Amino acid sequence: MRHLAFLLPLLVALPVAAQTPPTPTAIMTAAVNEFIRPGFAQLATDTETLVGAMAGLCATPSVATLDTAKTAFAGVAVSYGRIEFLRIGPLMQANRTDRLLFFPDRKGIALRQVQAILAGDDASNTDATTLAGKSVAVQGLTALEFVLYGTDAETLTTANGAFRCGYGSAIAQNMAAIARDMTAEWNADGGTADHLMHPKPEYADYRTETEALEQLVGLVAHGVEAVRDARLNPFIAKGDAPAKPKLAIFWRSNLTVSMLQANLSGLDDIMSRSAVARAVPEAHKDLYDAIQAEFAKGMEAGGLITKPIEAAVADPAEAQGFVAMVEATRTLQALIGDTLSSALGLSVGFSSMDGD
Amino acid sequence: MWQRRAFLKAAGVGFAASLLPRQLLALETNELVFASSIQTSSGGYGAVLLGERGDLIAEIALPDRGHDITISREAGRGVVFARQPGTFAVVFDPQGQVPPVTLTSIEGRHFFGHGVFSPDGKLLYATESDFEEARGVIGIYDATDNYRRIGEFPTYGTGPHEMLLMPDGVTFVIANGGIETHPDYGRAELNLDTMDPSVVFVDRRDGKLVGQLRLEAGLHQLSIRHMAIDARSRVWFGCQYRGTPTDSPQLVGYATMDGDIRLVELPTDTLRDLRNYVGSVATSLDGGMVAVSSPEGNLLVAIDTEGGKPVVVETLRSGCGLAADAAGFAATSGLGEMIGLGQNARDVQKFDFAFDNHMLRVGMG
Repeated sequence: MRHLAFLLPLLVALPVAAQTPPTPTAIMTAAVNEFIRPGFAQLATDTETLVGAMAGLCATPSVATLDTAKTAFAGVAVSYGRIEFLRIGPLMQANRTDRLLFFPDRKGIALRQVQAILAGDDASNTDATTLAGKSVAVQGLTALEFVLYGTDAETLTTANGAFRCGYGSAIAQNMAAIARDMTAEWNADGGTADHLMHPKPEYADYRTETEALEQLVGLVAHGVEAVRDARLNPFIAKGDAPAKPKLAIFWRSNLTVSMLQANLSGLDDIMSRSAVARAVPEAHKDLYDAIQAEFAKGMEAGGLITKPIEAAVADPAEAQGFVAMVEATRTLQALIGDTLSSALGLSVGFSSMDGD
Repeated sequence: MWQRRAFLKAAGVGFAASLLPRQLLALETNELVFASSIQTSSGGYGAVLLGERGDLIAEIALPDRGHDITISREAGRGVVFARQPGTFAVVFDPQGQVPPVTLTSIEGRHFFGHGVFSPDGKLLYATESDFEEARGVIGIYDATDNYRRIGEFPTYGTGPHEMLLMPDGVTFVIANGGIETHPDYGRAELNLDTMDPSVVFVDRRDGKLVGQLRLEAGLHQLSIRHMAIDARSRVWFGCQYRGTPTDSPQLVGYATMDGDIRLVELPTDTLRDLRNYVGSVATSLDGGMVAVSSPEGNLLVAIDTEGGKPVVVETLRSGCGLAADAAGFAATSGLGEMIGLGQNARDVQKFDFAFDNHMLRVGMG
């Protein structure tokens, strides 16, 4: 008892110490070293696991090896979902975003091209090197999802699925190569990471600490906007318009909600780890907690959705979960893009970074 | 100094019922007046008319974020277009005598944020998206019939952005940015790998294609978006690059009606500081200078249209809006500042709202 009483003042004091406003360097260093680099490293690991799982499936086609491949696919989807908002530097090279995940596929381009590949026996489609030079739509998660879950995917459990498996295996290797390259680039001396952490006037990308902070806050603000506009709004019911579950990402693999959760958790994680919302004047001292609470609200809402997507949108209680996620992203966009941005004296998302 | 005129703002889409005598005078005496879309400090959206000294002449509230403004002396009206992919355009009377009218895009179309009047002010044209087909159109509105939409022309490309009327009064020049968007997906860019931007000249009388100009194939991810016309009727354009960020292609060039299109060579450091992004383009009063802005790079550059070389380089955080003034250019920012670019630069003025990407110089005599 005596010891606990002695510790108590320290425990109370800790949160106060933790709230010392971080410097721009500390913020960017934490963002890079505690979120960005580990996130890309995780993607590299998970794509390697997928390569192994696809090799196992092709070597020994069975229900069990297919399940293993599907699990590995889900792992890659989620690890990419956490970092896909980092649309700077490595991810923006060589059409990597589209090659890793061709979505949305409004005109069914990927579907048509993947089906055409599966209908033939062109060996260049089972070789990761040649595949990397083909249409961006047939190289990544969108294509692999159809391979593993689309029409005739059950052939993967037999020798009849050899070509299909070979194509899926090439996709996995292609994604692993991209992930490996991106990890190396994020770790390279003098690369985007260095420039974010230690901006200099002579750099083309980040000249000042303010520009680096604007990039961080802008990525998160645009990230939550993209979750809402490009992932949630397209398929949920709106007014008289019915839900369109087949516009949802990964509806075939039932990973829609997992992907949305991964998106939110990644955005939440970079905000908490960088603690950028603690670098604000006293008047905004509650902002960090408010942002965290809103992310939690969005993810809790996602957690209520347990049914497959088509059933979920038809179930009023579960459909409400999507609506709550939309509301959370709207609040977060205002909190981060407007309140935080102006509290830090940044210019995010108004005249800049919005492609107008 | 500038003073806020709270009485000007009404709920929803509103406009001053009348202007103060001194403000009316500013419009009537053809004093320099600027127009811009804004975001208010409380997060609302609107558009303002500002006098040369930064005094607020008029303000309208908008239902959502506006973008560019066009004004016709002949029509006696201005129009604020919703930022893409917006569905409204607000027609207002700069004199504040007639209540504003809100136009709504027809089903299957949305506005792209820019438009022009015909020289006689009887027709209004707006860049729009036929989003199901991923093709650009020019919506045509009858200004003499309550802005009824009476038809459309193709823009012969995807993602049209700014459009201007050439000095001949019959030819449009349109920047097809080449980027496909769809309102189902907000502002997500859907075709970055297959973009096909172009500058097109279209006959305003029949919508026929007069000419279509593309940059070299290796620059297909260089989205051509904003334009201004110089003293020799050359169309200067500014681009935004959507390819690999480290590429740093040239971003400013000009096109002519006789089929020439080229990029000018900006010095490496100037180009670097534009950050692959030009947000606005304007020409000087005499058409001898063109200014471009980059809110991403916080940079303003004035270029001599004859030599194609920068003559003034200025920094302005989040600077984007540009319009000619007597001394050169006025520039505005997303942080609510207005500065001068060129000789006899104006004092920095600070407003309690954020300027949108574009500023229009208005001569309403």
